[in-house]
Amino acid sequence: MSTSANSYNAGIMAKTGKDFADEYFAEANQVVHESDTVVLVLKKSDELNTVVEEILLGSHKDQNRTLVVEDRAGFWWLKANGKIEIDCREVSELLGKSYSVYDLLVDVSSTIGRAYTLDETFTITSELMGLDVKLQDIH
Amino acid sequence: MAISLATKAATDSLEINRAPVSVGAQEVHKWLQSFTWDFDKNRTKYSTKYKMANDTKEQFKLIAKEYARMESVKDERQFGSLQDVLTRVDAANRVHPKWNESMKVISNFLEVGEYNAIAATGMLWDSATAPEQKNGYLGQVLDEIRHTNQCGYINYYFAKQGQDAAGHNDARRTRAIGPLWKGMKRVFSDGFISGDAVECSINLQLVGEACFTNPLIVAVTEWASANGDEMTPTVFLSIETDELRHMANGYQTVVSIANDEAASKYLNTDLNNAFWTQQKYFTPVLGMMFEYGSHFKVEPWVKTWNRWVYEDWGGIWIGRLGKYGVESPASLRDAKKDAYWAHHDLFMIAYALWPTGFFRLTLPTAEEAEWYEANYPGWYDMYGKVYEEWRARGCEDPNSGFLPLQWFIENNHPIYIDRVSQVPFCPSYSKGASTLRVLEFNGKKHSFSDQWGERMWLSEPERYECQNIFEQYEGRELSEVIAEGHGVRSDGFTLIAQPHTSKDGRLWTLDDIKKIGCVFADPLKSL
Repeated sequence: MSTSANSYNAGIMAKTGKDFADEYFAEANQVVHESDTVVLVLKKSDELNTVVEEILLGSHKDQNRTLVVEDRAGFWWLKANGKIEIDCREVSELLGKSYSVYDLLVDVSSTIGRAYTLDETFTITSELMGLDVKLQDIH
Repeated sequence: MAISLATKAATDSLEINRAPVSVGAQEVHKWLQSFTWDFDKNRTKYSTKYKMANDTKEQFKLIAKEYARMESVKDERQFGSLQDVLTRVDAANRVHPKWNESMKVISNFLEVGEYNAIAATGMLWDSATAPEQKNGYLGQVLDEIRHTNQCGYINYYFAKQGQDAAGHNDARRTRAIGPLWKGMKRVFSDGFISGDAVECSINLQLVGEACFTNPLIVAVTEWASANGDEMTPTVFLSIETDELRHMANGYQTVVSIANDEAASKYLNTDLNNAFWTQQKYFTPVLGMMFEYGSHFKVEPWVKTWNRWVYEDWGGIWIGRLGKYGVESPASLRDAKKDAYWAHHDLFMIAYALWPTGFFRLTLPTAEEAEWYEANYPGWYDMYGKVYEEWRARGCEDPNSGFLPLQWFIENNHPIYIDRVSQVPFCPSYSKGASTLRVLEFNGKKHSFSDQWGERMWLSEPERYECQNIFEQYEGRELSEVIAEGHGVRSDGFTLIAQPHTSKDGRLWTLDDIKKIGCVFADPLKSL
């Protein structure tokens, strides 16, 4: 079981019964608290299983040590601080077939954070794209 | 052979500037931006008090060709799974009967939401001025058409391949009598397509989609899988692959008005109204469907809500926008109370009114009662002991002559309908955030369950004139109303709704209801 603050059942979610209720109804938790995390839901598929296992938890694991990936039956649930990036040129090389960023979007199920594409890269970030940071076009 | 001057000119030109043999989708997207229009005098049928900027971007840079290719692959995967392996393994008959009933509500109601979202995003396309923003909204129009078909298809699949088709096959015909229908239309229809265009975007995209589709379309697949349903994850997770672009559309709506003066005046009120409107229905209904409509529990609904609504939508979407003046919704405290208790309140009323539904409900077993008490301390004293009494009085048996609605009447606990949300509530027997407020307007009384809805009503009372079932059927006998409202199966006398999912239990008929002599009364008349 993951002990990361980003895991599916971290913090208050690990509590039950009265302990959960006490924290849930605590005065401090009656307003939202800003978070710089992002959440990604990936539908399980041949390609996305490879992205998760070989890239995000494999070759790129050291790029963001806060990343947590959990198996939730039909989907992979991912949470990390800052951002998660997937370069589809790398996926293409690994799969041995042409695989564009739009092929990736076939199985990206949900995003919490600002998600965007640029060329062949998919990014989900906690940055406020379009407000704090300009969205770029391909050069 | 001599060639014409025009052909020679074209050939010479291509010698100098060779035509590219292939162009990347994002290069095409960039090129398309030069096809912009002058929106200085933009006219729209759908006005807004905000000024939407005309340089707003679309985050996924979609062009029609890539869109069509992407969506056709999604459909191929979805229908391929459903029609090949899932049919071959008889998947629809492996679903737990309780969950089979929950899907009657979830997929039918979502279909209505998707259908209305077609109109909502068409309206936003008309209102926006930035070409890229319009492109994002236009893609969403197409998505919503796809989703409407997908929801219709999953009902068709359950009805054709699975167990107890009644309710999967034609739920909408019961819409006049089912007390959950009108509330659903308030969030999924009125909230998306009526009033200020930007307010509609906040309701649909920033709250409905960015917040509540995560429990409604993503988390639901965990509950489905746990209860033997592999069709719903196949379809719903495919629907959700489009929702991320819709969430981005909602965020870009906010980006487009962020520098407008009107945002500092109105945005927080509009966001709070949208949050309350959406949560007032989704919070109790989803909680009820997940917990009371399943045999195998994934986690307490309040935890699902806390993760997807409070921590992630609240923290990552709304919290991050704090420096642009966006505040935590003022109604959050009441919403959190509802997330803990309102689905228990609603199930009690839904079970009491079960003959008016289009799905079957089941009282919690002793094992489930223990689970509720462990996760919601105080549950047994409020709800559990009442269910024991109802069961002892034979509420599942058509020969008992007992409808749980009688318990509310005997114990002087009147059930009201909130005028704004259309959600039923019982102020004298409730642990959620509901309290009774009654106002009179044009000689008619209106009941409200909370200050947030009451405030919305006070600002435009003419918007909320929908009759509730107590007003509509006052003085009418229940079995007559059920027959008139198409609440019976194809034999013409067995009710679609039932108070149990037992395959061996006898099904209630119109005659069983008629014997009880239950007559609709409007509780506001006796105040």
